Amino acid sequence: MAEFAVVGSSAPRLDGLEKATGRAVYVDDMTRPGLLHGAVLRSAYAHARIVAIDTAAALALPGVHCVLTGEDFPHRYGAFVQDEVALARDRVRYVGEPVAVLAAETPALARQAAALIAVDYEELPAVMTPEEALAPDAPLVHADFAGYARRVAVPLPPNVCAATTISEGDVDAAFAGCDVVVEGTYRTQAQVHCYLEPCGALAEADAAGKVTIWSSCQSVFRVQATVAEILGLPMARIRAVAAKVGGAFGGKSDVTVQPLAAALALRTRRPVRLVLTRDDDFMMMRTRHPATVWMKTGAMADGRLVARAARLTLDGGAYAEDSSAVLGFALLIARGPYRIEHVRMEGRVAYTNRLRAAGFRGYGNPQVTFAGECQIDEIAARLGRDPLDLRLQNAVRAGDDWVGGQRIEACGLVDCLERLRAALPPAAPGRGIGVACVAHISGILSTSAIVRVLEDGTVTLSTGAVDLGEGADTVLAQICAETLGLPLDRINYAVPDTDGSPYNWSTGGSRVTYMVGRAVTAAAGQARDRLFGHAAEMLECAAGDLELRPGGRVGIAGVPGPEITFRDISARAHWAVGGPIIGSASVMFEGGGFDPKRSAVTGNGIGKLGAFVFGAQAAEVEVDAVTGRIAVSRLWAAHDVGRAINPTAVAGQIAGGVAQGLGYALYEDLRFDGPNPANPTLMDYKVPGATEMPEIIPIIVEHPEPSGPFGAKGIGEPPLVPVAPAIANAVAALHGVRLRTLPLTPERVLAALDEA
Amino acid sequence: MTAVAYHRPACLDDALALLAADEDARPLAGGQTLVPMLNLDLLAPTAIVSLADLADLRGIAALADGSIRIGAMETHARIAASRIFAAGQALVPRAAGHIASPAIRNFGTIGGACAHGDPVSDWPVALVAADARIEIAGPAGRRGVAAADFFLGFLTTALEPGEIVTAIVVPPVPGRAIHLRYSRIDSDYATVIVAGAADIRDGICRSVRLAVGACGPVPVRLAAVEDLLTGRPLEPALVAAAGRMLAEAIDPLDDVRGSAAYRRRILPGLVARALAGVA
Ligand SMILES: Cc1cc2nc3c(=O)[nH]c(=O)nc-3n(C[C@H](O)[C@H](O)[C@H](O)COP(=O)(O)OP(=O)(O)OC[C@H]3O[C@@H](n4cnc5c(N)ncnc54)[C@H](O)[C@@H]3O)c2cc1C
Repeated sequence: MAEFAVVGSSAPRLDGLEKATGRAVYVDDMTRPGLLHGAVLRSAYAHARIVAIDTAAALALPGVHCVLTGEDFPHRYGAFVQDEVALARDRVRYVGEPVAVLAAETPALARQAAALIAVDYEELPAVMTPEEALAPDAPLVHADFAGYARRVAVPLPPNVCAATTISEGDVDAAFAGCDVVVEGTYRTQAQVHCYLEPCGALAEADAAGKVTIWSSCQSVFRVQATVAEILGLPMARIRAVAAKVGGAFGGKSDVTVQPLAAALALRTRRPVRLVLTRDDDFMMMRTRHPATVWMKTGAMADGRLVARAARLTLDGGAYAEDSSAVLGFALLIARGPYRIEHVRMEGRVAYTNRLRAAGFRGYGNPQVTFAGECQIDEIAARLGRDPLDLRLQNAVRAGDDWVGGQRIEACGLVDCLERLRAALPPAAPGRGIGVACVAHISGILSTSAIVRVLEDGTVTLSTGAVDLGEGADTVLAQICAETLGLPLDRINYAVPDTDGSPYNWSTGGSRVTYMVGRAVTAAAGQARDRLFGHAAEMLECAAGDLELRPGGRVGIAGVPGPEITFRDISARAHWAVGGPIIGSASVMFEGGGFDPKRSAVTGNGIGKLGAFVFGAQAAEVEVDAVTGRIAVSRLWAAHDVGRAINPTAVAGQIAGGVAQGLGYALYEDLRFDGPNPANPTLMDYKVPGATEMPEIIPIIVEHPEPSGPFGAKGIGEPPLVPVAPAIANAVAALHGVRLRTLPLTPERVLAALDEA
Repeated sequence: MTAVAYHRPACLDDALALLAADEDARPLAGGQTLVPMLNLDLLAPTAIVSLADLADLRGIAALADGSIRIGAMETHARIAASRIFAAGQALVPRAAGHIASPAIRNFGTIGGACAHGDPVSDWPVALVAADARIEIAGPAGRRGVAAADFFLGFLTTALEPGEIVTAIVVPPVPGRAIHLRYSRIDSDYATVIVAGAADIRDGICRSVRLAVGACGPVPVRLAAVEDLLTGRPLEPALVAAAGRMLAEAIDPLDDVRGSAAYRRRILPGLVARALAGVA
């Protein structure tokens, strides 16, 4: 693509060399003079009253500096429901919940001391599933729920932390007129984020009481804001800095151990590092929301989809966190990327005494898309139609409206399906092929960027976007380089640091390339305009006559001769005229709710979140008749990214998403044995390994998004979403059995084959 | 956490003396089980006695009678790569090659795995199937124990305090090797293992040995099954009957790798597949 110099090229990762040579610095590699080490004591009960905590024995150990308990953290927090506390106070609500934290001279001493903290519990009855939680007279996970501040204060039944409905058209009448209606209940499990790097933070307070927190996080600004809220400090007293992040997938979008490390540092006046063991991380942190999805879809004999209804129950675990938004997004997306006029989506999130459910790559989408895409195949089977064809017939196109009324500006879905069809092999005996689509969004909230032209004409790009390993730093630097006509190596990408970086909401919602990219384009464009302002004076011409020339030079368009360099311009700006050249921009995806003329919404309906992104995948599977084990041999993944700023990075996101989607489809499942996680170790909880991976064939489709940087939009989450339904559909195509529970374990497959 | 002594004796007698002197001392082989257990605070030994320098515990060599002696400190990876095993004995290197992932295979040893005696691991069933003998040295001298008498239950073996495994001896095994390992993902512990060897010519089974692993506290090997199959044409009904007998004999748990019912359900099919593979 000669259109651009840097955009569209697979530039190597900015941090590739340091990572490949093992020199990248993660929190656990960081140290400070006088460093202390933290350890956390976990709850052994799913639900209990804390009668007393005796820390004397732990504090008596030489080398133990401080022990904190729930009493030291009086402030409640939570984005939608203020039900969270940094350490359990009065009650514990899940096995593994942090109860006390301490700082000691060595990690081993810290662990030893934690074991000496004596907690006197009075056990309470627990609810381990939504069914138990929603049963009449169930014990309450939050007895004080009525007293909590809430963002959306609609009345809710006991043990429910969010409930929402969205409806459009007249679903009941539409179903009555359908020629084919399919209906079923689909169940999905608790997937663990399983980032390579467990959660960790290093905090240090200065003499004035300002705390600096280096951590593995998705947003330094969320860390700053939430730690300030938890510790009751002004944000100006908290500085959050990103370390290298070894994966996050949504599990580090809210605070993890940062408030604990910060409190220990403030109390001890020593730097404190708290990095969870894998064991602690499994027990304390988060999972994807397990879901039960009842769904019904109706079509006409000619294949037109006309109605869909869904009822969703999510298991939110012990604290609400983002559950309300996950539910809202799941309901928004549950229609699927089809022109279905009549929809009614209802859902609720139950509190249970399990570790909290959280945002996780897909954010409620994998659960509903599993149900929805299975049903498209079920309808195709009933109508005797090719499933890919049926999808093409109903696929949304640019110019269509989504549920809620937002216009779809650009849409490569039809193209994805056509490209998939062209790539698929002819049917082969013993092999089944299944297709599934995904619609997702890329956007959400606000961000900003600052581009500073240094004295020598090279550039420092500052954003608040933390690279979680996906390569966003490189992509943003490419966008900046392209806008200024510079080679990539002239761009310095600054580490996100709340003291110096401009605000960014978070690395999440498949938004960095699209949202932060827009801010970078605008900021770099402003810097370019200011460079042109100087150049116009220096070359004695109108700014409008100027053009950028490769390598940081400015000349007069159409006149080959005179030109000046960024270095000359910037030196002038720094030393003679005008002052340093800085471009900055702030952007917001100005979403908002639903068009009231079209949608009826109760609860926390969220609409207009970002630009829509689309994709379609096909899985080729074989099923072992003896064991029921599914092997996926090939997986074609066609995704519309608007424009691939860095095609290798896009292919990497596709491969990573497919791998995690394969884990979700076939293997991963945090199970419970009564109140306890049954497999909270990497020994027992299995993510797929290299040998399980199918051949992945990425198909990059580019339908430029008008508002995106160079037309680009996101790819972070979508590739995970369709994997499970594509596999389930492939098994159905092969054996005629419909599997409705994830993961598709050999045991479930075999049981279905035995029944068929 | 108290200090742990670390010893690296140069010869077997020194190692045995160190272990005899302190009943809370632990031998260290590849560390692939011991170190995770220390990390999880499941063990708190007073001393670690590394077996790394004991020449007696090294080497994979053929003996005069066709047996293969495998030193206890040989790693899974080295056993898997060895070409010394005859056709029937090859179930041993095949078992080794399927354990966990390359990193674990490069450190973990056959002696450590035997001493640990984990019934879901790969060695007990393979060694019972191969009629291997476990060689042991201890304060009371040396002895050998048949694999079938060595693995006694969950993390329980015939090893007495102060004893160490020095070698595993695999006798000649007629026929062709069988090793069928079924797991959730490749690098996971097995859900079911079928190990053995069979000499099948013109559809007639001349000899067979079959053991089932990861399905109960000890590997299951039934003389009745082997008698049933021996000397007969391997008709599907006969094979199915053998599979059913084994499925009834195993005593699996319900766990994250599969329910007990599932293991019983798939075992006959796996047995048939294993035998078909060497027919
Ligand atoms: C992630 C992971 C996955 C694994 N997956 C599998 C698998 O799929 N299948 C499988 O079979 N195994 C598996 N293992 C276990 C692995 O095979 C170990 O290597 C083996 O269990 C122990 O061998 P080791 O040499 O590491 O022993 P060590 O860990 O050093 O020792 C194990 C125990 O035996 C004792 N010991 C060691 N050597 C001797 C000796 N010669 N005499 C007496 N006592 C001794 C030690 O004191 C200790 O108690 C896995 C391990 C890990 C960490």
